[in-house]
Amino acid sequence: MIFALLCMCLLLPPQSAEPSVPPDALPLLQSGIDAENRGALDQAIVAFRKAADLAPDSAIVLLRLGDAYMKKRDYAAAIPPLKHAAELSPDSPAVHQLLGYALLATGYAAEAIPHLKMINDAGALGIAQLQAGQAAEAVANLQAALAKTPDDPDLLFYLSRASTALAGQSLDRLRAVDPNSARGHQALGQTDYELKKLPEAAKEYEQAIAMRPDLPGLRLELGQVFAAGSEWAKAEEQFRGEAKLQPGNAEAAYRLGNALLQQGKMKEAAEELKRSDLLSPGMPETLYALGRAAAITDPDAAERALLRVIELEKDTPLAGQAYLALAQLHRKQGKTDQAARDMQDYRRIQAVAGHPPS
Amino acid sequence: MTRRELLSLLFSLGALEFGSVLDAQGTNPKTAPVFQVKTLKGIDFVLRNSPTSRKHLIETMPGGVALLDYNNDGLLDIFFVNGGNVREKMTTPINFDRRNPAYWNRLYRQNPDGTYTDVTERAGLAHAGDSNYGMGVAVGDYDNDGFPDIYVTNFGKNILYHNNGDGTFTDVTARAGVAAGGWSASAGFFDYDNDGRLDLFVTRYLDWSVESSKTCGSERPTYCPPGSFPGITNVLYRNRGDGTFEDVSVASGIAAKKSHGLGVAFADYDGDGFTDIFVANDATDQFLFHNNGDGTFTECGLDSGAALSETGRMPSGMGVVFQDYDNDGLPDLIVTQLPHDPYVLFHNDGKGLFSAQELEAGFGILSGNVSGWGVGLEDFDNDGWKDAFIVQGHVFDNVETYDDSLRYREPPLLALNRAGRFERADPGSDLPVAGRGSAFGDLNNDGWMDVVTTSLGDAPQFYFNRRGQFHWLTITLRGKRSNRDGFGARVQVNGQTRFATAAGSYLSSNDKRLHFGLGSAQTADIEIRWPSGIRQVLRGVKADQFIVIEESAQP
Repeated sequence: MIFALLCMCLLLPPQSAEPSVPPDALPLLQSGIDAENRGALDQAIVAFRKAADLAPDSAIVLLRLGDAYMKKRDYAAAIPPLKHAAELSPDSPAVHQLLGYALLATGYAAEAIPHLKMINDAGALGIAQLQAGQAAEAVANLQAALAKTPDDPDLLFYLSRASTALAGQSLDRLRAVDPNSARGHQALGQTDYELKKLPEAAKEYEQAIAMRPDLPGLRLELGQVFAAGSEWAKAEEQFRGEAKLQPGNAEAAYRLGNALLQQGKMKEAAEELKRSDLLSPGMPETLYALGRAAAITDPDAAERALLRVIELEKDTPLAGQAYLALAQLHRKQGKTDQAARDMQDYRRIQAVAGHPPS
Repeated sequence: MTRRELLSLLFSLGALEFGSVLDAQGTNPKTAPVFQVKTLKGIDFVLRNSPTSRKHLIETMPGGVALLDYNNDGLLDIFFVNGGNVREKMTTPINFDRRNPAYWNRLYRQNPDGTYTDVTERAGLAHAGDSNYGMGVAVGDYDNDGFPDIYVTNFGKNILYHNNGDGTFTDVTARAGVAAGGWSASAGFFDYDNDGRLDLFVTRYLDWSVESSKTCGSERPTYCPPGSFPGITNVLYRNRGDGTFEDVSVASGIAAKKSHGLGVAFADYDGDGFTDIFVANDATDQFLFHNNGDGTFTECGLDSGAALSETGRMPSGMGVVFQDYDNDGLPDLIVTQLPHDPYVLFHNDGKGLFSAQELEAGFGILSGNVSGWGVGLEDFDNDGWKDAFIVQGHVFDNVETYDDSLRYREPPLLALNRAGRFERADPGSDLPVAGRGSAFGDLNNDGWMDVVTTSLGDAPQFYFNRRGQFHWLTITLRGKRSNRDGFGARVQVNGQTRFATAAGSYLSSNDKRLHFGLGSAQTADIEIRWPSGIRQVLRGVKADQFIVIEESAQP
């Protein structure tokens, strides 16, 4: 786990008061530490505040007070004593760490960054940079943090966000520097598509294609715009164009096969989906679509494809759909026992997914 | 403080949402429009759902419409279910102000010149109960007296209006024992035990009350999804034949399953001679209740392949139709639902099994970003293939603030059937509405099917068929041993099949007459299998006529 506890015990011995604290504040500091050790945070805060009144320039007292507020999750209240402590003890990693966290927790990401930089906390720094709009720096720091703890879910999440933000910034830049280029229209098309403004998206992509008909990917994206609008004939035309441009692109073949499938052109769909499977074997969505497309014209191929989906997907919803399609296939073949077993598996997966029968 | 604690504190960025998108259902194709949208003189109904900032869920769910000939003059009349006055802060005892004429249900009688007269008050249908918020309607001749009766579903108590045969109705709910309670949605008359008397099935949506009403969404409040409220059972009433009904929900097994029921449709999907029930559930498995023929039902949606969409997802089922779209003689299902998945089509594969085939049928192209409610499978161009008409509009009246690609108001979808695959066609109007109910029938008796739809806060829309060159045949069944309406009969004409019912769509009731497009054929061979088991065959019947077929005495 990359986010280990900030171990205050290493920085601030919990058992005894700091000897450099003025003598009249020492009992209050000790009292606060005792209360904190008992888990009585409110009492601890009262004691630390009184100690701070008596020793307003004691970094350790202010740090204790800030820490108690942090433990109480009152991050805003923690900031003033921690800021003062940072002025008094500008080289204290504990102060900068707590202050950096408190600022980040209260939304002052830009202000948190210098403090987090001082403690070399790449993960927290990356998050702060993401929130401060420094996407490129955020990506770098989050990747550095992930190098140490590759499976940390929080870091992975924020890295994905930072990457998206970085991509967005790059697109913004592209739109700003050359909005009338093919890539500029492509970027605008992508934005419109994400906003579900499908006609607008289609126009942008069409302009991009008119300018750079050789550019791979444009027709694939335009086809997806049409597919999102259930305009399958138009989608087919674009996917077909992409497949011609990139005959080795498995996704283009899959998309074309699916567009044909949606139009009920089962035989053509099956051929294209088989081609996609050859280009990139073992893609469950391709195999499932192939299973549906070939069900009537080539039941054996359909069965093989659906069984492969189940092998790959185990108990996922797609595997459930594959069992259902298999049941239909087996019923048509008169294999009623097999169909019944398929339905049992379908129901089992549905139950696991939280969809028990009515 | 630990870094992890710090990170927890900082972990406040919301996940970027990127759902599938959408929309732009696209404008209607530039083909000749199939319908002409007209206003009808004499009809001034407005579906008052009374939306509030509190987003009480009932506000966005009404309301039904029925096409029936209540006075047996040969002209279709129209009954609309109204919502009620919903106040921002509702208290108990609840009062939806249904005494106020603005919130009445309405019955409009068709006059010979095609105009309509509001006969609500004189028919005795004016006041639907202050504590009732209107939802749907079912029509059937439950006492076999030759006059169609009306059953109105509500949030509150449902009402059965007996048709007195003199232009008036009597509220017989208490005596009949069919009030149900809670939040009822769609309903339909059918004869589940083939005893010649129409029974009654009522879907119920969810366990909602004034006290449990809540708003979802944080910055932009909106209606809560069905999963926010407990599911509830549907209700089956058995007709005792003496003007009363017995609640057999538990005994029949119907009440063994709880869910979020909205649409209902009937057909004998496995050809065993007993009518089965399909319930469109919102955001959970769909229910297919197989009629065991002994007064009990077994829910078998999942095991028969009629519970989940082609992608294995639980549809947000709204409306449903249970008819044969591909002329293989077996009833199939179309279930309308909310965006991000196509409308679901369960193809009847025979042997009691279905497979979801919405993509093969073309619904992947036709839907996906739209919200469907009322639905019909009728042969609008009389070419011998049943077409689909779906009324559309999102649940949220502020959906655009959530997703710029979706729309609260949408035009309807007309999809013509090209030998089993549906293709978009021009319904004659691009006017977007918050569509809900729809009923299908031949309003002007010209042999071409018309449509009436309802929309929230709005007047109804009337889609009159512009007609074409093909031939047609419209059949009225008259049961003798079977129920008088002939509901549950399987009627086959020149290779097409219809299952006699007025139920289906969403909250609505259709013209009970069975319409067949004959293409260029000028005669028809008709085969009827009545609920009684009697098989009746008529050969060389002349096209382009309305005929009444009385159940023969002998098999």
